[in-house]
Amino acid sequence: MDFVTMNILDSAMVSICREMGITLMKTSYSTIFNEALDFTCGLADMNGDMIAVADFCPSQIGGMPLLVKSCLKEIPPSEIEEGDIILHNDPYRGGLHTPEHTFFKPIFVEGELMGFAVAIGHIAEVGGMAPGGFCGEATEIFHEGIRIPPVKIVSAGKDNVEVWKLLLANVRTPRVNFGDLKALIAAVDLGEKQMRGIYHKYGKDKIRETVSDLLLYSERRMRAELEAIPDGIYPFYDFVESDGIDADKHYRIQVEVHKRGGSVIVDYHGSSPQAVGPINATLGVATSAAYNAFLHMTDPSIPRNSGCFRPIEVMAPPGSIVNVDFPAPSVGGNTETHPRIVGTILGAMAKVLPNRVMAAEGATHCNFVFGGVDAETREYFACYDLEAVGWGGRAFADGNDAVDSINGNCRITPVEVYETRFPWLIESLAFNVDSCGAGEYRGGVGYTKQMLCLNKEIICSQMTDRHVLAPWGLNGGTEGGCGATLVMKQGRDDWETMREAYGKASTSRYSNVAIKEGDRVRLVTPGGGGYGNPDKRDPDSLARDLREGYISAKAAAELYGYKEV
Amino acid sequence: MKFSQNGLYIESYSKCPNCGDLMYENAPEDRAKQVKYDSKTYCSQRCVNWTIDREARRAKQEG
Repeated sequence: MDFVTMNILDSAMVSICREMGITLMKTSYSTIFNEALDFTCGLADMNGDMIAVADFCPSQIGGMPLLVKSCLKEIPPSEIEEGDIILHNDPYRGGLHTPEHTFFKPIFVEGELMGFAVAIGHIAEVGGMAPGGFCGEATEIFHEGIRIPPVKIVSAGKDNVEVWKLLLANVRTPRVNFGDLKALIAAVDLGEKQMRGIYHKYGKDKIRETVSDLLLYSERRMRAELEAIPDGIYPFYDFVESDGIDADKHYRIQVEVHKRGGSVIVDYHGSSPQAVGPINATLGVATSAAYNAFLHMTDPSIPRNSGCFRPIEVMAPPGSIVNVDFPAPSVGGNTETHPRIVGTILGAMAKVLPNRVMAAEGATHCNFVFGGVDAETREYFACYDLEAVGWGGRAFADGNDAVDSINGNCRITPVEVYETRFPWLIESLAFNVDSCGAGEYRGGVGYTKQMLCLNKEIICSQMTDRHVLAPWGLNGGTEGGCGATLVMKQGRDDWETMREAYGKASTSRYSNVAIKEGDRVRLVTPGGGGYGNPDKRDPDSLARDLREGYISAKAAAELYGYKEV
Repeated sequence: MKFSQNGLYIESYSKCPNCGDLMYENAPEDRAKQVKYDSKTYCSQRCVNWTIDREARRAKQEG
């Protein structure tokens, strides 16, 4: 094993992935890409194993190997030509949910297929029942937009116009979608070009050998981390609240982590049967969530590639909330159920890795989506908006305040951009006082965003969580605060839930609510659970929380025994 | 072309009842390891064994 070349090559490939991501960010049209960075760029070998990836969206990072491998079983390497680009978003064939579009381009060197440049991005508008791709009341996949099995969108360097026509005829914002899809193509074009340069510099044999060593190195380091954990079977369960159809039913995520030697098996048997509504996770999501959880508990300097995933297996029963079968919907599985699965695995490992887990986080991306015809431009607009939550407290630090949930790593769209691109006025954006669970290390705080509708009408939908089930605390820490979505109709002075205002079954999952000009919407995001006994909290830290407005004097007195001097 | 049992979907795979992995009809590597057990098709003998072990373990836990 040539460690010097291996490190140089690993860094070069990760840099290429980052460059792909920056290209995608700078050339895309939608805020979900150029502000939120809801995408991932990576490189794969010819077997579909991920050999390098940039630090973008974790749910897509963990999903990438299964995605590419599944596609290669339908379009085998023998049918792939130089200049092809394959597109795919099918949740049932290795995909994550319909908005997640995967592009991959073969890397040919001297006529030989060596691997693939891969870009996965969340397309903001995919057609279906609700603008913005997140239909909170979907009951079948056909409500969730266009489904694309692996197809060549570019064949031997030429756009496959028939595929483009089909794609763009099925969405509300074809101009914007065209720009975003082309940005994803630009990313894989760049990755392919840069990797060919690397191949010309080092030669095919050297790279094959070094990449093989790199994957083995990551695998060994992950196995060494796992070997340090006591062998055993670690069970835990948590719930996803409601599916948007039956508001009172909660759906169980059951995990049994079987740890033996340098490997783990995450067994999900015992989880609820798949839901009628769109909270089901795909196999890709269940797999990615297990990877995500263990990446959070192990050494972050292990190179991220398929090698470090080899010691981790999942058992995800088909037809369940963690492995959806056709034709059940799945759009919320990748955003809401994924973090709940990660939290459940962290909960299972808390007994043996108390210093490497956190209390429950907000575990939702809020997923407030909307669309309409802009009164000024007369063009249809659509937006997928994600918001941040509080993370759980840890054994050594407070939870992160107002950060995207554990599987997103996305940025929040700045108010100025939001107001420029869409007909909303953001009236306030402020931390939720007292949303942080109490503990020796408190949970992070969520926030509230209040918006005034400036358009004649905006059609809104949402797929969020934690309106009912609060994020749990750990080792004596208390629960974090719940989220909420409220509306104040023009001419009224009271806030109502979506159930109260529009008769929706669920307050957190609904679709196609017509918000009128002058109406206000308030998005309240959850905080994180606390870690450890609140009595042990450092008084200086508590004083800072009071000073900064994270916690009120009343809550400080109740939870920490604080007395004002 | 293969259609799903309800005729709504063109598919080329089935899922292992234990691990949930996709078993592609046209992939020789997927077919090679498949095992029939209890009238279901598993991706491997290992998954059959895992299923039997899990059921035994949970039955013991329940009483």
